Amino acid sequence: MSAAASPISDQVMPRGGLAPIPLPPGRRGTELAMIGFAVMIMAFAWAASGFGLNGHIPPGLITYVGGFAVLLLGAHLAVRFLAPWADPLMLPLAGLLNGLGVVMIYRLQESGVGKNPGQPISTLTANAALTQLIYTAVGLIAFVVVLAVIREPRVLQRYTYTLGTLGLIVLAIPAILPARFSDINGAKVWITFGGFSIQPGEFARIALAVFFAGYLVRKRDVLSLAGRRVIGIDLPRARDLGPVAVIWLASLLVLVFESDIGTSALFFGMFIVMIYLATQRTSWMLIGVLMFVGGAAIAQEFIPHVHERFEVWLHPFAQALGNGYQVVQGLEGMAFGGIFGTGLGQGEPYHTPLVQSDFILTGFGEELGLTGLMALVLIYALITQRGLRAAIAVRDPFSKLLAGGLAFILALQVFIILGGVSNLIPLTGITTPFLSQGGSSLIASWIVIGLLMRVSDAARRPAPQPIQDEGLTQVVRAG
Amino acid sequence: MNKALRRLSIACLVMFVVLLGWVNYLQVFRVNSLASEPGNRRIFDQQQKNQRGEIIAAGGTGPQKVIAESKPLKGGFYHRVYPDPFTYAPITGYDSILGTTSPGGITGIELAENNYLDGTASKLAVYNLKGLFTGKSRQGASIYLTISPKAQAAAYAALAQLGKVAGVVAINPKTGAILALASYPTFDPNKYATESSAVLSKIDKAYRTDPNQPLLNRALNDTFPPGSTFKIVTSSTAFETHKVDNPDSTIPAPTVYPLPGSSSAIHNDDDGPCGNGKPSILIALTLSCNTAFAELGDHVGGQNLHTYADNYNFNDPSLTIPLPVSASPYPLLTDRAQIAQSAIGQFNDKVTPLEEAMIAASVANHGVMMQPYMVQEVRAPDQEVVQNTDPTEIRQVVSSQVASYLTRMMESVTHNPSGTAYLTAGPPATRINIAGKTGTAQNGAEAIGIDDAVFTCFAPADNPQIAVGVIVKGGGFGAAAAAPVAVAVIKAFLGQQ
Repeated sequence: MSAAASPISDQVMPRGGLAPIPLPPGRRGTELAMIGFAVMIMAFAWAASGFGLNGHIPPGLITYVGGFAVLLLGAHLAVRFLAPWADPLMLPLAGLLNGLGVVMIYRLQESGVGKNPGQPISTLTANAALTQLIYTAVGLIAFVVVLAVIREPRVLQRYTYTLGTLGLIVLAIPAILPARFSDINGAKVWITFGGFSIQPGEFARIALAVFFAGYLVRKRDVLSLAGRRVIGIDLPRARDLGPVAVIWLASLLVLVFESDIGTSALFFGMFIVMIYLATQRTSWMLIGVLMFVGGAAIAQEFIPHVHERFEVWLHPFAQALGNGYQVVQGLEGMAFGGIFGTGLGQGEPYHTPLVQSDFILTGFGEELGLTGLMALVLIYALITQRGLRAAIAVRDPFSKLLAGGLAFILALQVFIILGGVSNLIPLTGITTPFLSQGGSSLIASWIVIGLLMRVSDAARRPAPQPIQDEGLTQVVRAG
Repeated sequence: MNKALRRLSIACLVMFVVLLGWVNYLQVFRVNSLASEPGNRRIFDQQQKNQRGEIIAAGGTGPQKVIAESKPLKGGFYHRVYPDPFTYAPITGYDSILGTTSPGGITGIELAENNYLDGTASKLAVYNLKGLFTGKSRQGASIYLTISPKAQAAAYAALAQLGKVAGVVAINPKTGAILALASYPTFDPNKYATESSAVLSKIDKAYRTDPNQPLLNRALNDTFPPGSTFKIVTSSTAFETHKVDNPDSTIPAPTVYPLPGSSSAIHNDDDGPCGNGKPSILIALTLSCNTAFAELGDHVGGQNLHTYADNYNFNDPSLTIPLPVSASPYPLLTDRAQIAQSAIGQFNDKVTPLEEAMIAASVANHGVMMQPYMVQEVRAPDQEVVQNTDPTEIRQVVSSQVASYLTRMMESVTHNPSGTAYLTAGPPATRINIAGKTGTAQNGAEAIGIDDAVFTCFAPADNPQIAVGVIVKGGGFGAAAAAPVAVAVIKAFLGQQ
């Protein structure tokens, strides 16, 4: 248990004194300073991309970076009121990623436009960066709403089954809708209406995390105690496997009907890890991994779409102009960037299809080099670790599970997408948190940050101060 | 639950460490292997984004001429342009989008000086570093050639007028600097500068299947029988081995010379006698008597001929100027009939036009053969000279005394009214004092009917500035077809009539 989480009990009342107990630092000043730093990095990146493209500071420096700074400041002020004890690093780190994403999208949108070098990207509109900035605003509003509405993380436990049902329904909608309402670029994971499109899976993920946390908190004793021991591994009872099997099937169905391997892997990974957290049984991890690998192997055999991905993974250059084109372009882009990168605006990320969404990390690898890419990976690692730290620090088991699951899913998402685009593992099209172009992913990611900060606020918040009545009240340290 | 969370936290760290390790592997260790993947568009674009250096014909008097340059296109790309394509094609070669990734992707000076032209040469590192700070893309160095634009234009125009397979090379005999180098028929390097690989492959196929072989550099990489021009080598051998004392010494010159150990015989061109039947070697060369030199060849022997042919740089497969030059073969012969034939340039001996020019140049330069070269200077983008070529000797081919004998004899060829080149390269054709030797070769072993015309010469004979070798395939009599080409080049270069 961290020192910050329980400082109050360590305070010894001065004998006979009336001095108030000093509150632990909220670290909001640190957060503000870090936000300033993040905005500065974004401003430099913005200017650098303009210099790289055409030798001028881009016209939108004040509007875009200024607007972004105002949004982050607003979020910071809201945190001061709504979650004053929350982790001071999450907001600036997520903000930095979001800001760099906007810069990269701007740089890509300007490619080949006017006298800028490069080729225009047909899948990107002329004001994609502005749209992304608007999504950022919506995301930060959602972030503030989460903090405002959910004052205690454990109140979510009440909506375990409501959110679980909602999550499954939302997840299933694209599979049921006709393709013209749900299919974009071969993945049937969208709901489109009137020019707008959302990816319900991004939000279903959060609802299901809440559901898993609520469900597992109740069932964890049954899941961890009953069962047999085989070769040193505690196996659960067959009937307790039921819900796991249901989720496994659901994730496979997502895979089959929505051609979305990434999302199914994410769901399944999150569920297995949360069972593990709830039961502390390694056997669950083992079963989960075996089930997923088995499922993937079967899918690879029978679903052509999945089989293709495996072929590309094993022999990308054998089909450099066919199915492997995107992966090959991404790899060549990263290699082209080398250690220090070409500099923003000076590489050729536009050769890689969908470099603004799934492949955005290869774009960063190309223009910011290994150095920049490692920095981004480390930022993700930091957010994950801060989330897990909040989970460790908070006392309520539901909050622990929720925060642990959400933090892990962020790490898993980064692993799947960066591993995929760099051909470490088969490519599965999922978004890159905070960086990818697109509203659903960005807003959902900000909701996750809101929930994690709510949990960390709960963990670090001092217990309500007892009414000081000297002589009658005594602070007793609980064991 | 905290124990599980701590373990999970370690698991997450492991995942991130695996990612970090993998991207390190990709962006450090696989940079080169991924860059050399065929069809890597970024590497290709990068090459087109660097301004390649110019190739400039800067020899001789008069203005210099840019013969290859890179012009900017939209989006920071450059396009290679050859302003006078046919005249300079055998010199510049071409630079296609395939570049060095494919054999035949780049040729000529473009290939030989590629490191300087594309700016990757280590001597240009300091300029690249400057570019790194000023943000400019890499710029190649310019290549200044010894080629004289006036001589080159005259050389190509003369060949094009003949319209036959031919090659001509002009050298400064004192330095070895190449003043002109033309080949016919030739090709348009601009067509190779296309950005479309489909167009490129079509163009390349058309040129490669053309029976006239326009891509073949006749001046350097095609060999022809030297014909009577080889009599210069035979004479050199005779003087050097003291079989003949001086140009006025008489040598046997029968009307018919029966080949030793063979039923065939050698005749003179007009089937008549050589002069008075007992001419001096000077007269024998002036009239180009076959019988006299065949017998002289037999007299000096195959070993000696081979030695002096080697001295004149026959049989050298490794000469580069810096374009690679094919060897001019003169085999070591033991059969007397073959030796006699080879002594008049009619057996298996073959020469490149460059070799012909080098023979005349050696005679002109007091018997000293200079290393032929084409690149005078390499200049960095800021015009600073990063490389300069100093003339170097190959060897003393013949003594200065013998060279002066040969000069006298070659002057007689053009100045004696009965000399073979009197009308085409002598006083009736020009006031310039040219010393030369004609050759009319019966196509060696594979006779096709029409003789090849050969001419080798230098001028002015008293103070040589230029040596020229010309071979016109199927040109007929050497003096008629080849000599006018040489005279045109000499006139253009010396700027006189």
